[in-house]
Parts: sequence; structure tokens; C-alpha cells
Amino acid sequence: MSFMALAPLIAVVAGALVALLFEAFLKRKDHQVSATATIVSLLVAAVLIVRSWGLDLAYFGARLALDPLALILMAVFVLIAAFVLLMSLEYAPRRDINLGQLCGLLLLAVSGLMIMVSSTDWLVVFLGLEVLSVSSYALTGLRRDDRASSEAAAKYFLMGSFAGAFFVFGLAILFGTSGDLSFAVSLSGGSGASAPASLIHVFGLALIVAALFFKIAIVPFHMWAPDVYQGAPTPVTVFLTIAPKAAGLAVLFRVLAPLSGRAGTASLLLQAVAAAAVLTMFVGNLAALRQKDVKRLLAYSAIAHSGYLLVAIVAGDGTSLVFYLIAYTFMNAGAFGVLAALSGKGEEHTSLADLAGLGRRHPWLAASLAVFLLSLAGIPPTAGFLAKFYVFSAAVAKGHVALAVAAVLASLIGAAYYLKVIVAMYMQDAESEPALDRENPALYLVIFLCLFGVVQLGVWPGNLLVLIRQALTGLFQ
Amino acid sequence: MNAPIAGIPLVSIITFLPLAGSILLVFVRNGSDRAVRTGALAMSVLTFGLSMALYFGFNGASGLPEFVERASWLGRGLDYHVGVDGISLFLVLLAAFLTPLALLSSWRAIGDRVKEFSVFMLLLETGMIGVFVSQNLFLFYVFWEAMLIPMYFLIGIWGGRRRIYATMKFVLFTMFGSLLMLVAIFALHAAYFRATGTYSLTIADLAATSFAPGLQTWLFLAFGLAFAIKVPLFPLHTWLPDAHVEAPTAGSVLLAAVLLKMGAYGFVRLGIPLFPRAAVTFAPALSILAVIGIIYGGLMALVQKDMKSLVAYSSVSHMGLILLAVFSLNFEATEGALFQMLNHGLSTGALFLCVGILYERTHTRLIRDYGGAAARMPVFAGLFLVSMLSSAGLPGLNGFVGEILCFFGIFGSNKVLAGLGVSTVILSASYLLWLYRRVMHGPLKDPQDTRLRDLDRRELAVLVPIIVLMVFLGLFPGTILRKMDASVSHYLDSTKAKPKVVSALRIPLPPAARVVGPADRGR
Repeated sequence: MSFMALAPLIAVVAGALVALLFEAFLKRKDHQVSATATIVSLLVAAVLIVRSWGLDLAYFGARLALDPLALILMAVFVLIAAFVLLMSLEYAPRRDINLGQLCGLLLLAVSGLMIMVSSTDWLVVFLGLEVLSVSSYALTGLRRDDRASSEAAAKYFLMGSFAGAFFVFGLAILFGTSGDLSFAVSLSGGSGASAPASLIHVFGLALIVAALFFKIAIVPFHMWAPDVYQGAPTPVTVFLTIAPKAAGLAVLFRVLAPLSGRAGTASLLLQAVAAAAVLTMFVGNLAALRQKDVKRLLAYSAIAHSGYLLVAIVAGDGTSLVFYLIAYTFMNAGAFGVLAALSGKGEEHTSLADLAGLGRRHPWLAASLAVFLLSLAGIPPTAGFLAKFYVFSAAVAKGHVALAVAAVLASLIGAAYYLKVIVAMYMQDAESEPALDRENPALYLVIFLCLFGVVQLGVWPGNLLVLIRQALTGLFQ
Repeated sequence: MNAPIAGIPLVSIITFLPLAGSILLVFVRNGSDRAVRTGALAMSVLTFGLSMALYFGFNGASGLPEFVERASWLGRGLDYHVGVDGISLFLVLLAAFLTPLALLSSWRAIGDRVKEFSVFMLLLETGMIGVFVSQNLFLFYVFWEAMLIPMYFLIGIWGGRRRIYATMKFVLFTMFGSLLMLVAIFALHAAYFRATGTYSLTIADLAATSFAPGLQTWLFLAFGLAFAIKVPLFPLHTWLPDAHVEAPTAGSVLLAAVLLKMGAYGFVRLGIPLFPRAAVTFAPALSILAVIGIIYGGLMALVQKDMKSLVAYSSVSHMGLILLAVFSLNFEATEGALFQMLNHGLSTGALFLCVGILYERTHTRLIRDYGGAAARMPVFAGLFLVSMLSSAGLPGLNGFVGEILCFFGIFGSNKVLAGLGVSTVILSASYLLWLYRRVMHGPLKDPQDTRLRDLDRRELAVLVPIIVLMVFLGLFPGTILRKMDASVSHYLDSTKAKPKVVSALRIPLPPAARVVGPADRGR
């Protein structure tokens, strides 16, 4: 029981309030103050997260627990938020996006994520989920004069509310059948390994899982995702494709990992998850194959990657899940970062035709994008390969051989469209030469950091891997 | 096992020197093509020089890997572990020998984006050498996959008209096989852990463990598919003619000379020693496919109109013979196969270089556009002829030694297949000599055509070393075969008797009952 367990959360929320208040009351139109407040609060949160390592802090009767899994993911969220902010510094003003609002909403969303990953109680998860959702809807619609952005926000909001309703209904059923909303009790309706959960209980759990699937963009709950990812401002897309996914998967992992290897109704749930994983990988990849717009292509690829991540959940292997999430953060943020760098004033240049000949025009940007795409495709020696390696090998080690075969075949389809983008950049000549933004150092910094991360995690992930393994051993045994 | 010479990690240096070179090249200013070309050539020549040190320092008496370097990398058996034995040493040398020649051959042919070209060539060299020196299965896979990317760019950027189709087909075909192999690697990793309680992906450890027959079958099929696509074995060869025809000369040379060998090498290094029981079961089927490949490739080569696709189909045929020999699983055939891998690398590499030289002059590869070229290019005609005769297996040249060894071995195991396989001698002589007659002899197609100049000094420098090596190996094959002997016997031993052991992936048994691992064999 320690108040310090709330410290990172408070830092972020305070930052959000400061950013929003300054935005509302300061009349000056440069948004330096909000941006600075955001950076400071992220730094403070980062320091607090590092200081909490190994202390096992908890609050609210252990309903909010900063265990190692939560801390690692919170650090990832801080990193993503920093990336998004750096990418937006130049991007936002040029598209009439209010940077101050973006900062505030971003921090609020991060606070929601932090609540989700550190909670051990369904109601607290719901709290975090709603905070996250509301801020994400607003973030998506930040480009108010842009129809795609507004449409995406409306779509996201409607579908999201629907999923929220699922969640609440599931909560009601769980509470009605077990009288408790903590993960441990909700799992089996009595934690005895042999006690089979009642069918209505599993139904409630399935409703909640479906709502989480919606957040993670798992087929068949993915319909909103491509439009939202494409319509949102590119930095926000980076956030949406990674952060809610990571939080949702963490919750799923906490709930489903103890079920791994159990018989009965519980295993039914895992089988459903496995089926959803296969479906997600194939639908996402096959749909991406047909895209002509790279941003939309990456949106579908984000769905496919949710499928790969779900494989780790089925295998019940936290190490590979977290490693994949971190690797994915770098490669996906990097890829969208390059797309952001390619967009001109007010408009996006993200069709395959716009990318044609990029290898000649902007060799460094093109090379970076190529590395990110190869990493997304899972080709060594990049982070993406190692991430896939760990996830799929965990699946095989647990006996899910068919699932692993499906996963590698899906990645083959994935390779086809990632390589298609590289073909456009290097093997075709430009038809037109879209004008680029002028120098954008903060964005280039993000791209560079992502590049570094992708290569480093692919070649020598030593310390991080050790850290994750230490953190997760003994957590869910 | 001898330590690295005076503590120098020679194998690692040879492997990563080209990579270092390519990183340096990235930072060379755009436009200074000459500096880039020279730098890349210097790097690859240096690599070859160092690899000669490997040759002279190699003892070969034990049959075990030498120059071994080992370091822990990612944990759980995913180690950095390299070394060379008699089987891999010469493939390393082949790759290191041909890369500088390929770079030199493209001195003028590649005028666009020279920097990127040189970078990818050097990356490819690191990948090729890495595959051959890896003693850990994970490391092997990393190099095996990573090597695809430079080749993908080489074909896709500097290739012919249908280059994008060809390069996508090449990558996706190869990747399909290797991804299934990846799943098999996971299964091996898990099965080894269940069997012994320790993690290892060291190839020697895995080869010392015998897996349950059912598991072996699946794993062999997964590995075998990856290797068969790479070789390529009929009917998985369709990517090869496309890739070869579209690739730039340097790409074709390395593709034919080195990349194809990786498939056969994979069978010898992994497929057969790791899963001997399954390998013996499937050997007849694979041998039949190999024979079909020999005949089909030869017949297809006869009717090709494009010189490059002719040489490509001849590769299908020759690689079929090599696989047939590999699956004969006896000493002569295996040595013959390994020797023939080098020969095929040299002769096919030389043939592609020759075609490239003609193409640079006339910008056509169609056989009917040529005729009587020998009159204008006497020196070239001589070198071209030697390369062909080497490929066709004329006594006195290297190809003869390899083929005769292969056939001795194959006859020892199956006379029918051997009889059918011998057709390669007739077929290759026919399509090659017929090609030579149509291109080099007869009346000049166009007496006014002044483009057919004879070789200049650079081109001589590219071809002559290969020709010299062909003659040398034809006369003194023992210099290479003797260094292989011990490793080949060691390899053949590993395919035979092994402690009977059961370890299936899904059946949990108490640790003691399951396996006789390396520890029990006094290692």
C-alpha cells in the first residue's frame, strides 16, 4: 500500500491539465508552453517509473499494482508519447492542428493506458479504457477541417461506444455470477484449477474479451481500424496503432495467461483466441496486399500485427509479447514517421506512386523506410525478425505448431506487400515529384531513434531481453 | 581443434569485413563512382586474401570445424558460433574468390547508382560467407534470410525488363521455404530442450541427438523444402530462369555460383545429419526428382533462344546431378558432389561472365543475333570454350573429376538412376557445344558490326583467374579433396549409427527416459 504507486499517473495527468489550461487561457498562438509542459511531465513520469522498479508498489487494495509488466509497458507508453509529440511539433501547425490540445489529449490517453496495464480489477480496467477511448476519439478528429479525419473520429466514437457497451454488459454478468470483479476471481468463478466456470460466466468473460479485441483491432472487430488509422493525423496514427493495442494485450495476457494449459471451458476461450489470431493475420495481410496507399497499407499491416501478438497470448508467453510490442513500437513509429516526413503542406503524399523513385530523391528517408519495412516483414537482422522468432517459437514450444505455421505463412503474404513498397521506392521511376516539408529536425530525430532501435534490438537486444525475462519470470506461474 | 591463429578471430573478420566495407561505402560522397568501385573491389580482394590464410591454416585431419569462435549472443542456445570444416571451407573460398571478379566484371556494365550496387554486393558477400561458416542453426538462419535482401535489390534495381516480377518471385519462393524451415527450427529447439533439459541450437549438438522418426519426417520435409527450392530441385526450379535472365551479370554469377550451392550445402550440413532416418527414407524420392531435373534441365537448355536462360537451365541440370550424388550417401559421391559444387560455381560463373561480356558489346542475348564471333574475338573464343568444356566435363579440366567421382558414387548406390543421370554428360555437351557453334562459328552475322571487340585487360583479369583455377583443379584435384576427406567421413558417420533415442514434441516423458544426448556420448 503506497501512494507512490500513483505517482507516474499523477505526473502525466498533471501534465495534461497544465497543457490544456495553458492552451485555453494563454492567448499566444505558439504552443511552446504546452509542449514543454508535456515533455516535462513525460520526463518526470519516466523517472518515477524507473524509481518504482522492483518496489512492487500497489494502491487501492492492490487493484492498481505496479508490477514489472506494468512498469515496462508504462515506459513504452511514455516513449510512444514522446515520439508522437516530437513528430507533431512541426506536423501539427502546418495542418491547423492545435498542438496544445494534442498535448493534453495525448497525456490523458497515456494516463488511461497506464491505468489499464497496472490494474488487476475489471472495473479499474474499464476506467482506464474509457479515459483512453475518449481522448483517442478526440485525437483522431483533431484535423477539424479535414473530412477524412472527422469521419474517422465519428466512426471510431460510434464503434468504440458499442464496444464499451459490450464491456459493461460483460462486467455486469461477471459481477452477477461471481460477486467480485478482480481478475483472479473472475477467471474461474473460484480459483480452483479443477472448478469449471459456469457457461454464463464464460459468456461474460467473452464479451469483455470481445471489447478488448475491438481496441486491439482483432478480426472480426477490426472494421473501424483502417479508416481511423488512415484518417487520423499521422502522429496520432502512430499512437493509435501501438498504444491501445499494447494495453489491451497486456490486460488479455494477465487474464488469459493463467488459463494456458487448463482444460474445460477456459480452454474454449483460448481456442477462440487462437482462431481470432489466425483470422486477423490473414485478413489483415490479404487486405494490405491490395492497397495502393501506403498509409492504408500500414493500417492493415497494423491489424495483421495484432494477430501475431495474439499468438503470443495463446502461447501464454509474456517475454515474447513484450519484446514484440517494443520492437513493433520502433518499426511502426519509424515507418509512419517517414510517411509524415513525406507529406507536404496540408496534404499527404502517401500513395505508392508518390513514393516511386524515392530512393533517388531522398536516399536516407528511403533507406530508413526500407529498414522499417524489412523489419515489419520479419527479415533478419532486424528487431522484427527477432520479435517474430520469439513469438512463434513460444507457440511451437507450447505445442501450437499449426498456429505457428499459419503465422509464418501469413508473414509471407506480409513480406509481399512490404516489398512492394520497396519496389516502388527503389525500382520504379518517379512520375511526379511532390514537394516536401522543409527540414523537420524533431521528426528526423524520431526516425533516427527508431532506426537505432530496430537495428539494435535485432542484433544485440541483450539487456532489454534479460530485463524482460527477469521481469516476467514468476509473475504468472 | 586448433585455436584461431594467434588469437585473431579470422572467420569473423572474413565474414564481416565486407559488411564493414559496405558501411564505409555508404558514407562516400555521391558521384565519386570510381572511388566507390575501387573501394569495394579492394575490400573484397582483401577478404579473399584473408580467406586464403584460412585455406593454408586449415588442418582438416580431425574432420571437425576449425577456427572455431563461440560467444553467447541471445541466450537459450542462440549463440554466435562460427568455424569452417572441410565441407564449408571451399564454399567460403568460392564466395570470396568470385565476389571481387563479379565486382570487376560490372565495372562498366553498372553505371547507375554505383554506390548502392557496391554496397549490396558486399552485403551479399557477408551473407554468403556467413551461411557457410555458421555452426549454430539460428545464426545460419539469420544469414540465410538476410542474404535474400541484397540479392532482391541487385535483381530489382539493376535487372532487365521484367526485373520486378523476377525479384519478387525469387524472394517469395525462397522465403516460403525458409519460413517453414523456421518453424522446424522452433520445433528442434523445443524438442532438444525437452530431451536434454538444456537449450542448444549448435549444429553439432543437434546432429548428435536422434529425434523420433515421426518428428524427423516433418522436420526433414520442412528443411528439405527450403533447400530444395534453393538448389533448385525440379519442380521447384521455376524461379531460377526468371531470376537469372533478369539479374545483372554480377548477380547471375553469384546466384549461380554460390547461392544455389546453399541448398545442396544445407542438405549436407543440416538436412541429412540432423534427420538421418528421414533422409534415408526420402532419398529415393529426392533422387528421382534430381534425375528428372537433370534430364529436364538439359532438354530445356537445348531449346533456349536466350544464352542466359540456356545457362540457367544447365544449372538446373547440373545441380540435379549434385543432389543425386548427395543422396547416394556414400564417400565417393559425397566428395564428388562437394567438388562438383565448386566446379559448377567456377564454370557457370565463367559462362555467365562470358554471356555478360557479349551482352555488353551488342546488348542482345539472343543466340540468333550472333554468329562467327570467334573471328573478331579470338581470345574470348578460347576462354569461352574452356569454360564450356569445364562445364561439360572434359577430362583434364575440373568438371571431369567432379562428375567421375559423382558417378562412381551413384553407381555404388543405384545403377538405374546412375544410368539415367549419365545423360547429363551427353546433354551438356550437346547444348553447350551447339551454343558455341551458333555463336562463335559460322559466317559473321554482320561484317560491318564493329562492336565485337576482343577482351580488354579488365575482362581478361576477370576471366583468366577462373580459367587457371579450372585447369589447376582438373590436374590437381587432390589439393582440395584431401582437405575434405576427414570432414566427409565424419559427416557420413553422423548419418549412420546413432544411439536410439526417442523424443517427440508433444509427448512429455521423464527426462531420463528420453534421450541419449551429447553428454552420454563422452563429449
